[in-house]
Amino acid sequence: MTALALEIASITKRYANHTAVRTLSLAVPKGAVYGLLGPNGAGKTTTIRMILNIIVPDEGTIMVLGRPSTASSAMDRVGYLPEERGLYKKMQVRRVLRFLAALKGVGAREADRRIGEWMERFSLSSPEKDWGLSKIDELSRGMQQKVQFIATLLHDPDLVILDEPFSGLDPINAQALKDTVVDLRRRGKTVIFSTHLMDNAERLCDSVCIIARGEKVLDGSVSDVKQEHGGNNVALSLAEGDAQLVARVLSDQKLVERVDDSNRFFEISLQKEADPQALLRRLVEAGARVQRFELVQPSLHQIFLEKVGATGVEAGMTGHG
Amino acid sequence: MAKLWVVMKREYVERVRSKWFIFMTIFGPVFFLVITILPGYMTMRGMKDARVQSIHILDATSAGLGQRVADRLSSQQQTGPLASVPGSALPASAPSTVEMVSAGGVAAAESVATRRVMRKETQGYLVLDSLTLAKQTARYAGRNASSIGQMQMIEAAVRQSLMASRMQDAGIAPARIDSLTRVRVELATERIDERGRGGSGLVSAIFGFVIAFLLYMMIMLYGQNVLRGVLEEKMTRVAEVVMASVKPDILLAGKILGVGAVGLTQQLIWFASAAAIFSYGAAMGKAMGMPEMQNVTFPTVSLPLFAALVFFFLFGYVLYSAMFAAIGAMVGSQEEAQQAAQPVVMLLVASIIFIQPILLNPSGKLAVTLSLIPFTAPVIMPLRMSAVQVPTLEILGSLAGVGLACWAAIWASARIYRVGLLMTGKRPSLKELARWIKYS
Repeated sequence: MTALALEIASITKRYANHTAVRTLSLAVPKGAVYGLLGPNGAGKTTTIRMILNIIVPDEGTIMVLGRPSTASSAMDRVGYLPEERGLYKKMQVRRVLRFLAALKGVGAREADRRIGEWMERFSLSSPEKDWGLSKIDELSRGMQQKVQFIATLLHDPDLVILDEPFSGLDPINAQALKDTVVDLRRRGKTVIFSTHLMDNAERLCDSVCIIARGEKVLDGSVSDVKQEHGGNNVALSLAEGDAQLVARVLSDQKLVERVDDSNRFFEISLQKEADPQALLRRLVEAGARVQRFELVQPSLHQIFLEKVGATGVEAGMTGHG
Repeated sequence: MAKLWVVMKREYVERVRSKWFIFMTIFGPVFFLVITILPGYMTMRGMKDARVQSIHILDATSAGLGQRVADRLSSQQQTGPLASVPGSALPASAPSTVEMVSAGGVAAAESVATRRVMRKETQGYLVLDSLTLAKQTARYAGRNASSIGQMQMIEAAVRQSLMASRMQDAGIAPARIDSLTRVRVELATERIDERGRGGSGLVSAIFGFVIAFLLYMMIMLYGQNVLRGVLEEKMTRVAEVVMASVKPDILLAGKILGVGAVGLTQQLIWFASAAAIFSYGAAMGKAMGMPEMQNVTFPTVSLPLFAALVFFFLFGYVLYSAMFAAIGAMVGSQEEAQQAAQPVVMLLVASIIFIQPILLNPSGKLAVTLSLIPFTAPVIMPLRMSAVQVPTLEILGSLAGVGLACWAAIWASARIYRVGLLMTGKRPSLKELARWIKYS
């Protein structure tokens, strides 16, 4: 009996010209929603592929649901949604799903029953139109994404691994995905997903691991991570047009360590000894109309920027939402 | 093993359900007949048409040889070498013209005749001179000079005319000469090997050719089918989902076995219908104007030959489809695949190029060598086996070689497959390929 859904012990994967993952260790408790965060090229997909035994680490061991990841009995309990999605284009939707379920050891009759349920739940079949009889390439992109997601969950896996699940999803499918993740957690399943979108991670994850350049930067529960990095943080909103009035105040290095300026919303890390009240006073003195001034914990986004730094992040890789 | 079965079943069922399979199963034999039998049939039709249109004869022999040749040529049209073939009696064309020239005037007459041929006033001209009488040589120039059948007829006419002219010189009555020189021989061939008489030699050659060509076609078609399947999985990215459930080796094996089973199914359907058609073969042959077909019986295939055929097909198919699969995993697009597959295709085409020379001499050095090289053996060995009695040792050696090559191809391609399926971007260089094989 183990309480860990996934245990990675110092795995390393080298390629000809670079090391994709370097002595990475992770522990994901059962029943958690776990975020694997990092900029593109950090080694997230390589790590996930090693967990799934698609590629073999050069060093280190991986235990999935208490069994070595090389055991196919372990893999049958894992559901995987790869970042690059695709299905057999010329195959009927129901046949694709039945095939992928059979690969995980689900019998045809049981698979058909579940396919029916999922298709209805994702409104892919209704009395008027059953998309299950169409070929994959007759479906819209959004519908194909739904089918792929069904394929991931059809065998009722205990561990669900989603690689960049939100990329390319329209808002409706993104919402459906979030709902499903929450539902999975409620049913005691473990969900691991990788993302470079910190907002999603912050809202969904119990624990996170930030990796950059193939190495772990930090990990732990979201609340612990925030506590640990919780300094003097202020969330500030100003009335329209007042941003330039406070520019001088916010650039005062004695008071402010870092500002994330989103035009009307500012996330401010104060210097360790600085007094938030002093900042508020100076803002008011500068003539700004303050709409919100709140002492907050840093966002994952902030922590990510602080730990990984601008060098580990390519432009546009860490944007919100 | 359960997963291998699941993969195999998908490959099999999806293909057999496809329109492509149904189309190929129905029209494959038609297409096959068209490309194998039709050329032969056309040649025979061409020979029937091989009447010599009126030609111009320049006779410088002053022995009346030209007129004899002209007579022979016009009579050939009714009783030519293929006159026994029904429907070959053709309407007579204008008789050939004879021009008597002096020995010195040949050159001038030839240049006039050449111009007439160029103006299409006549097909060609034949020069008969003193050399024809003394050394049995004659010259022909014309538009149809490359038609083997027509040249043979002109040659026969000249030969018979010469013979007749000599007989006349020897004092034989002209009336008898005609019946004496008009001799036709028909050679019936029969094969004899260790087991005794083995049916018509021609039939077993045709059978061997058909078998070899069929093997070649099936290996090519289904090998490339495997390539397309692998490429599809790679390009649609479905490979990654599947590989999270099955090991790539099993995926590869399932694909090759599944597609191979489709090929076997198709051949089974074809052989069953061929057996049925053969019972009506005589009638069909007659309808097609090939009375020879009436005597054709389906060559008896001995059990060892049949077993060898199956083995060579399986080994050949596995060998080539493993190579095609590796190529499918290496490339990133259809265009690249076509280019990269070329060396493999060439290996296979090599066997088909050599079919004819090997049929002419199935025990020759070339035949033996090619039937032992693993890449050509799957097509060439069955071809040889249906034509002659091949020593058992050679058959076993060939099978062992192909088997070994199969093993090596599977081993290397499984490794390339494992790495290549997840790779995107540039096609790997040979050096990179070697590294994939070494380290995966």
